[in-house]
Amino acid sequence: MIVAIVVLALFPFIGVPRGWLLYGFLFFVYLAMANMWNLLAGYSGLISLCQPAFLGLAGYTMTIGTWVGLPWWVGLIGGAGIAALFALLISIPVFRLSGIYFAIGTLVVPEALRIIFYLWKPVGGEMHGAGAGYMIKGIGNVSMAEIYWCALIIGIGSIFLMRLILRSTLGLGLAAVRDNERAAASSGVEVFRLKLYTFVISAAVTGLAGGVFYLKQGYIEPSATFNVRWTMTLLLATVIGGIRTEEGPFLGTIVVVVLYFLLAKYAGYSFLNQGAILVAIMLLSPQGIVGVLRHSRFYRSLTQWISSR
Amino acid sequence: MIGSGDILTPLVMGFLLGGLYALIAFGLSMVFGVMKLINLAHGDLVVLVSYFAYAAMTLLGMDPIVSLVICIPVMFALGFVIQKYLMGRAFGISVEAPLIIAFGISLIIQNATQIMWTPLSRGLNTSYSLMSFNIGQLQFPLSYLLDFIAGIIVMVALREFLTRTYLGKAITVASQDRKAAQLMGINTNRIYGYTFAIAMVSAAIAGIFLGMTFPFTPTSGVSLLTIAFGTVIIGGLGSMLGTFLGGMILGMVQTMGAYFLGSAAQMLIVYIIVLVILAIRPQGLFGR
Repeated sequence: MIVAIVVLALFPFIGVPRGWLLYGFLFFVYLAMANMWNLLAGYSGLISLCQPAFLGLAGYTMTIGTWVGLPWWVGLIGGAGIAALFALLISIPVFRLSGIYFAIGTLVVPEALRIIFYLWKPVGGEMHGAGAGYMIKGIGNVSMAEIYWCALIIGIGSIFLMRLILRSTLGLGLAAVRDNERAAASSGVEVFRLKLYTFVISAAVTGLAGGVFYLKQGYIEPSATFNVRWTMTLLLATVIGGIRTEEGPFLGTIVVVVLYFLLAKYAGYSFLNQGAILVAIMLLSPQGIVGVLRHSRFYRSLTQWISSR
Repeated sequence: MIGSGDILTPLVMGFLLGGLYALIAFGLSMVFGVMKLINLAHGDLVVLVSYFAYAAMTLLGMDPIVSLVICIPVMFALGFVIQKYLMGRAFGISVEAPLIIAFGISLIIQNATQIMWTPLSRGLNTSYSLMSFNIGQLQFPLSYLLDFIAGIIVMVALREFLTRTYLGKAITVASQDRKAAQLMGINTNRIYGYTFAIAMVSAAIAGIFLGMTFPFTPTSGVSLLTIAFGTVIIGGLGSMLGTFLGGMILGMVQTMGAYFLGSAAQMLIVYIIVLVILAIRPQGLFGR
């Protein structure tokens, strides 16, 4: 496993085509976000549809930061902090809701933010895109390799973070809550606090990944940022791979990135297919690819071998 | 003319607009009330009907209201099929499965309409939808009045249907206690199919009147879903009258928001109201 990470990290040096760096970059960004969505929806029972809010807020924080003269990496970390704070803030209304109410409550959040960022012009900068976007200032000297490494660290980091969380008391508590919320609560598990922790952690990491994405893109504008398509991508990656499994988002993200580049020419059809794939997977194999693979002995021994390394 | 007349215009507009919002929300409310399913694709299904009517109007020269003759059976069948082959199965899988499938359907509709009719905004413009009528000195679009009338008609029809017919009573019973309904010999799976189908009929009517009132795009569905959900949240679940009142409140909130804060901020006010009501009274203002 370490070998694989080192090889991936050396990609920019051994002269792989630029396209590969781009695939890798997208893969790691999506992987981090999908892992965090899996943590919420799969392990905590919080079907959050407001992930675009976190990544968008982080992206905006970084962008505005570069306009007032902060270096981009300060903005990146600050953005994650803002996303976490925002998660804390919206947890006040949305944590009173459960299950499907929670999903709808969170769906409204990015929509509201999109309008706010249309109306609010924090810096009188250069307009770009749909009339309310900003260029990210002073990142001309940041190379693709550096951005790729940032994405790599966050992507791989999210895998370790998931392992860490799921094996900690937090993860044990979540498992107990998922099996039987009432029984867990009466055995002394602080359900509310556990869910809040996962919500805030997921917001921060999603924010980091979002920041790196916008670093690569170079500009940010509200309608593509606070867009349900982000939610769609994360949902698809997690569900295709296998929701509530640790390796699911990893496998699912590979499929999503491959699909993305295969179908890039047919933009509309790509999302049409993704919708159809989502429905089909959910009906035919609710546990996704992992659900199918787990039937084979080779796969089981392979995962054991990898995790023992 | 600054005076009472100025603020009266948005108030009456919002009041009338409430009929349209209630129309959009009836289907969502019914599906939620009976099956405990939030149909994330509801807004997109409403917009889909607007596009059907647009196609009927441009290709066949059919009046939007007349095209209901086609749209209602089509949506009834579509609703039955969605429930029977997709949602019905999803219920057995897990809690989040129906939600994810609804999300998938929503994306399929959004992108299919985009491919068929391009992302440009369209409208169902007829000779009468652009006319206006007067109350005193104030002028209002005729389409708003039509929305309001259609809202009342659908509300009364749904109420009568649910309380007087056998099927309606069966739907009510199944929503209260599924197991008991089954023991009484009600085929709840079929009832669920009819519920979804009837919800889609109300969505069909909503789509037609939406198209005559506002321009629509393939992605209008998300904001419609929020409006419908807000209406249901304000009005409380299960009661058709509550939904209607919820629609009127939301309509007035929106037009007053536009009046005081400018038209760009009107939807923001709606979203904030929805979040605030969710936070303080998740069962709705008129819910128990």
